[in-house]
Amino acid sequence: MLTVLLDRTGLWVLRALEQVGDFAVLGGRTLRAAFKRPFDGANLMRQYLAVGVNSVPVVILTSLSVSMVFAVQLHFGFKQFQAEGLASQVLGLAVVRELAPVITGLMIAGRVGSAMAAELGTMQVTEQVDALECLATDPIQYLFVPRILASAVMLPLLTGISIYVGYWGGRLLLVGVEGYSAIAYSQEFYKLVQGRDLLIALTKALVFGIIISLVGCWRGYRTFGGAEGVGNAPTSSVVTSYVWILIADFVLTKMLLV
Amino acid sequence: MPLIEVVNLSKAFGPKVVLSDVNLQVEEGESLVVLGGSGTGKTVLLRNIMGLLTPDSGHVSIEGKIISQVTREELFEVRKKIGMCFQMAALFDSMTVFENVAFSLHRHTAMTKGEIAARVDECLAMVGMKGTDKLKPAELSGGMKRRVGFARAIALKPKILLFDEPTTGLDPVMTDVIGRVILDLKHELGVTTITITHDLKSAFEIADRIALLFRGECLAVQKPEDFKANPHPVIQQFLRGDADGPFLQDPPPPKRIVKDMTP
Repeated sequence: MLTVLLDRTGLWVLRALEQVGDFAVLGGRTLRAAFKRPFDGANLMRQYLAVGVNSVPVVILTSLSVSMVFAVQLHFGFKQFQAEGLASQVLGLAVVRELAPVITGLMIAGRVGSAMAAELGTMQVTEQVDALECLATDPIQYLFVPRILASAVMLPLLTGISIYVGYWGGRLLLVGVEGYSAIAYSQEFYKLVQGRDLLIALTKALVFGIIISLVGCWRGYRTFGGAEGVGNAPTSSVVTSYVWILIADFVLTKMLLV
Repeated sequence: MPLIEVVNLSKAFGPKVVLSDVNLQVEEGESLVVLGGSGTGKTVLLRNIMGLLTPDSGHVSIEGKIISQVTREELFEVRKKIGMCFQMAALFDSMTVFENVAFSLHRHTAMTKGEIAARVDECLAMVGMKGTDKLKPAELSGGMKRRVGFARAIALKPKILLFDEPTTGLDPVMTDVIGRVILDLKHELGVTTITITHDLKSAFEIADRIALLFRGECLAVQKPEDFKANPHPVIQQFLRGDADGPFLQDPPPPKRIVKDMTP
């Protein structure tokens, strides 16, 4: 009984280490490939469009919704202590430091990371990745690099949009519904926010972008087993990205806020 | 020195030995056809030649370079000299026919847009697919996809062409069309080819020599007429296309005797 348990635990640990090692090796190969020629500008522009421009509606919608809900919660909470004035200040801090980067990261992991895993997974099982190899093209350079560059650039920009929308979501709720003064809201939303907070948000977004794209590409690239494998790749990519986004969020917050 | 040399090549996946001590030499300009039943390692042989798989033992050398020992950059240089035609074409489905054929020209040459367009036209004309350049792979039939795959493979003017079961799943007429295209490419380009096929008709048309893989081993490599006359029971059974004989590991069910129902 104990031997079987140890055997299974050992096997699980070995598999986990194998996965971590594989991810690290592919990450290293991607970094090296990013500085190699030829540079495929057209491919990069396509990825900017897919990762950034096409994600704007979903980021606006979720940021608006989350900031409004959070404003309601803050207003209700602070009202119990007759401190409603703090709601817009805390909302500003929460949106900039946490909500904007994390919500954007999670939404992009669901929308873009899964699409990357599905696309590369399909290419893998239909031998298109092998075709790239046979055409003397490094799949890491051709498939991974533009997706990761586009995500690393676009996530901070989308987070900026999310912060701006968060401001208007809170304003819509607190000024439009709860009757706060528009001038006071505008002044207080950014009152507690410092330049460092914005830098933290953008740093988080950059890291989340790299996580989402690298995990999506990795899961897709390692797809096997036909339709079932292609079906599993996006799910696995989203779950893995979510876990790593939340872990990275904690680590970055702890490191950068001290 | 042979252009392609396969020396004592062995490859296994877990406990399943797919290739065992396979030896082959292909001279420049020669056309070798590899026959064999399903699962006998024909595709694995091609993937080892392309460097997509690493042999467990033995090696493949192309122009004297051992594929499993060169650096990745050197491997890509070798691959520029080889055109690989996949079983299901493996066209990039997000690109048009033009973009598929032009892919390697864009990446590996300094050709202008006009020169690339002219070369793509030339390649598509060679495989009888002129005028399809704006179509997406999803709009093409199986045979058309294979031919576009051929056009993509010849775009960089390779010295070697590898065909992985180019006629599988096609109707007899399209099979003949593909056979003719391969023959045309062979004569027009003067390339060295390795073709894996089940289609005996096109095999005997294309081949300068024929090899038969049987249970991971290379049973014979002979000129077509010698291959036909080879008395080996496995070869004769394969040529007859008969289920009875030593070819299958598990004996097939006995032939059902159909009663004559005519009054």
